[in-house]
Amino acid sequence: MTLIFLRNIGRFIFLILFQVLILNNIQFSGYVNPYFYIYFILLLPFETPPWLLLFSAFILGMSLDTFTNTIGLNAAACVLIAFIRPFVIRMISTGTEFMIGHSPSLRNQGVKWFAYYSIILVLVHHFALFFLEIFRFNELFQTILRVLLSSLFTLLMIFIAEYLSDTAKK
Amino acid sequence: MRYLFHFLQKQYIYFLFLALEIFSLALLFNNSKYQNSALNDVSNGIAGSVLNLSSSVSEYFSLLPVNRILADDNAKLHSNRSEAFYKADTASFYHNDTLYKLEYRYISAKVINNSTNKRNNFIMLNKGRMQGIENHMGVIMGDRIVGQVVSLSDHFCWVMSMLNKDCRISGKFKKNNQLVNIEWGGGNYQTGDVKEIPKHVIIHQGDSIITSGNSDIFPEGLLIGTIDHFTIAQEENFNYATIRFATDFNSLSFVEVLIDLMRKEKEDLKNSFKSSEH
Repeated sequence: MTLIFLRNIGRFIFLILFQVLILNNIQFSGYVNPYFYIYFILLLPFETPPWLLLFSAFILGMSLDTFTNTIGLNAAACVLIAFIRPFVIRMISTGTEFMIGHSPSLRNQGVKWFAYYSIILVLVHHFALFFLEIFRFNELFQTILRVLLSSLFTLLMIFIAEYLSDTAKK
Repeated sequence: MRYLFHFLQKQYIYFLFLALEIFSLALLFNNSKYQNSALNDVSNGIAGSVLNLSSSVSEYFSLLPVNRILADDNAKLHSNRSEAFYKADTASFYHNDTLYKLEYRYISAKVINNSTNKRNNFIMLNKGRMQGIENHMGVIMGDRIVGQVVSLSDHFCWVMSMLNKDCRISGKFKKNNQLVNIEWGGGNYQTGDVKEIPKHVIIHQGDSIITSGNSDIFPEGLLIGTIDHFTIAQEENFNYATIRFATDFNSLSFVEVLIDLMRKEKEDLKNSFKSSEH
């Protein structure tokens, strides 16, 4: 139990630093800003109580906001996906029992399950984030393009990370 | 009552979600109020020290262009020294203190965090309240504009760069002093939009746009950019153009914060005018 706790805290710090020090500095084009740090919310164990899910997502978002001077922006988007996460899991679950202490992963749940799971959460997060950031609708097309392109890159990174951890375990 | 408790217990997660969400959104949309709070000082301080550490590493990679800019500045300063002038008449170097009163002071600051790929971009500098920086001060690089201070802690400050939806710069054509507004519409960080160009102004590609000095943030005559391409609108009253920014926002390393020594006087004057209106 303590191990799971420590591992998640370590992941939290690593992902925040990775996002702030590396991803936020990559100049690819104005349309691609991957937000890989939400991988933390995706990987929290299945039996995490909903309140803890919400609070850790809030703290995660706030920590990132501190580094980008957008207080509340990432927090709002993170809390939203932390809230819908249990519903998403219930909606797409295949009926197999989830093991205690396990996190959602490509290896245990299969490619299809994990793809649905990450695509829904990443898209919701990026939609909320980019529309709150601009908060007007007259740049609708550009904003949707940014959401889709950024989601694509975030998902790509999540899948690479999953494959890497998968091979590391073997 | 028991049912109420039972209900709350069962549905607490919805309330918790709503509470956290409303709290985040309130912070987001009241950003300006939050920026003066004590919590802001602490969070800016922590973020500042981490970003400072990372920039002290990445600084080495930009030494070459920085040196070139410094060398240029040196040359410019040398050419301003009295030795560089031909002295035909010593009287021409007479300096009258009552005529030339110091209006701006410049504080050099290092950029420790910068982005150009967001819709709203901010720059963090390693100077803060302790060094005399205040909110709403202008930030420039040489004779080009960068942005405006929006948030402070003791040793760091956040600057809203021109690449931000809330940034609107008052500029003018260098050739005929016609006023225009400059905004950034997202996307490419090298180009922005020039709004509200009066119909009678003849636009050419490459026209320089400089600051108008109408806002209290920047003095007159700083270079904003040059006209890239323009459209003549048929049915509207104004023409539009895109501007190529003179500042390369992606390679900022050292900037200067403008301290307007007469700002208080200007504000007092403005306030007295406003209060006499009512």
